[in-house]
Amino acid sequence: MFKYQSVRNSGAKSWILQRISGIALVVLMIGHYILMHYHPDSGHTFEAVMARMQHSWYRIIDLLFLTLGFYHGLNGIWGIFRDYNMKPWLKISLLFALVILGISFIAWGFNIIFSIPYLKNLT
Amino acid sequence: MSEEIKKIKTFDQREWIKENISYRKDSGSWAWIYHRISGIALIGYLFLHIYSLSTLTEGKAVFETKMQSFLSPPFLALEWLLFIFVLFHSLNGVRIVLVDWADGAKYHKTLYRFSWIIGIFLFLLMGYIMFSHEILKLFGK
Repeated sequence: MFKYQSVRNSGAKSWILQRISGIALVVLMIGHYILMHYHPDSGHTFEAVMARMQHSWYRIIDLLFLTLGFYHGLNGIWGIFRDYNMKPWLKISLLFALVILGISFIAWGFNIIFSIPYLKNLT
Repeated sequence: MSEEIKKIKTFDQREWIKENISYRKDSGSWAWIYHRISGIALIGYLFLHIYSLSTLTEGKAVFETKMQSFLSPPFLALEWLLFIFVLFHSLNGVRIVLVDWADGAKYHKTLYRFSWIIGIFLFLLMGYIMFSHEILKLFGK
């Protein structure tokens, strides 16, 4: 009956990290929605984005949001895959693909945030 | 394996669609299904989100041209629909955490109903906030 259950990795760590990142994302998402949609300009104009990015704490929150979002999302996808019995080679390739996808998109996001300059005079 | 255990119907993975459909579903099973669908939609959107914001590095003109297309009413409507996925996934996520850590298994059905009520309210509120400028224009303001 326990033929397909792996003892080595019970998934407990990924379960608890999924809960913690999920709670953090709910809080961050409330802030994100208020910020982006309370006024249409604040989410969609170049100046508004630049003005926000002048605060280092905002950048830090953004980096955290980005990382947690991708971690939570791709860990969730991995959780879906784990529901099905797969050949080991398929499992490893899917995990590898998800990790590569996650790292490259997080890196892309970091690159976008870091390439926004700190401006002296805001107009 | 005894006879009794053999009689228990187990999940046949090769027929997973059929198996899933044939199950009798209560609120929890629907929550599980919707949670999965909304989760997949949200990670898909997150990829697009990074892609669409990548023009931030190319200066104001490029970024604003791109943003103009996202501010058209059809896109706003899609954004509003996306909020359904965000709302469901967040509210149900809170419900899952309560079930796991706060004895929520005893009241998870009530939580499910409440999250729908809260969700519908927030969805309508967000619709008003997002379209308030269009709504005001209709009344000539």
